[in-house]
Amino acid sequence: MRKILQKIAKKSPWLYRINAGSCNGCDVELATTACIPRYDVERLGCKYCGSPKHADIVLITGPLTARVKEKVLRLYEEIPEPKVTVAIGVCPISGGVFRDSYAITGPIDNFIPVDVNVPGCPPRPQAIIDGIIEAIKIWETRL
Amino acid sequence: MSSFLKIALRNLFKSPTTDPYPFGETFVPEGLRGKAKYNAGACIACRMCEHVCAGGAIQIREVADKSGLEFILWHNTCTFCGLCEYYCPTKAIRLTEDYHTAHRQEDKYRYVEKGFIKYVNCAGCGTPMVPISPELLQRAYEHVNKEIEMLRHLCPKCRQKRALR
Ligand code: SF4
Ligand code: SF4
Ligand code: SF4
Repeated sequence: MRKILQKIAKKSPWLYRINAGSCNGCDVELATTACIPRYDVERLGCKYCGSPKHADIVLITGPLTARVKEKVLRLYEEIPEPKVTVAIGVCPISGGVFRDSYAITGPIDNFIPVDVNVPGCPPRPQAIIDGIIEAIKIWETRL
Repeated sequence: MSSFLKIALRNLFKSPTTDPYPFGETFVPEGLRGKAKYNAGACIACRMCEHVCAGGAIQIREVADKSGLEFILWHNTCTFCGLCEYYCPTKAIRLTEDYHTAHRQEDKYRYVEKGFIKYVNCAGCGTPMVPISPELLQRAYEHVNKEIEMLRHLCPKCRQKRALR
């Protein structure tokens, strides 16, 4: 039974999005990738979900501002293992233009293990799709 | 309601609007600002790019053995703003239309654009200096004559001496 479930689950990871204080640029691109039929990320078998408890692949945007840090970490803890983490945009990866600001505590990999990076400010939907494909590959090895 | 039906009917006969990527070719809008590309041969190490870079992505520094300058651009903090290209006097740095940026975490700090400018020795006194690229001459002079071509191989001091002779 477990084997069968594993096999099925491999084909349909659920995506969950965390905004760690982004300027909204990357979130708009994520929304575009998700909701606009032109990019339709669900063709890859994934699906956005509204609860961290259902998530398999976590997409994080934003430089992890001091204000949201605790909340983001708590949310991240709620996502069951195994999970794959994708950093979207230069903000979570390096802090981007906000690097060294007193208001941010990132880069995100100081606190959260990241698997895939998709830099860009913001990245194109196609680049985000590249990142999700990479994440699915990792996801398949973790199950 | 009828207009909705019309659209639904029309869509039945239209081909899908979904971009085939990643299963097929996608489009790239002209002038898309993607990953930057650096050409050490044209660079004159003026450091303008380093100065204007919004993301603080560029570093130009002397290598340990003092044989030249190393240029490093870390894609993971580049914002694709294009200021480097705009201000570069010789267009040694350009943004390409390559937007594929996804990579694994292991490669985070290896995801860079690199270049090396080897110092040349001044034809007069032999001091090491940054070579003056043909691109800069093209920009500075309408015609590059023999005199200018010769001055190109001199360091600023020797050039000054020659000019005041
Ligand atoms: S990477 Fe750029 S677009 Fe994305 S959240 Fe940061 S500043 Fe905004
Ligand atoms: S595009 Fe902007 S952020 Fe990127 S290297 Fe050039 S100046 Fe820096
Ligand atoms: S890349 Fe252009 S702006 Fe940067 S140091 Fe070289 S010549 Fe100057």
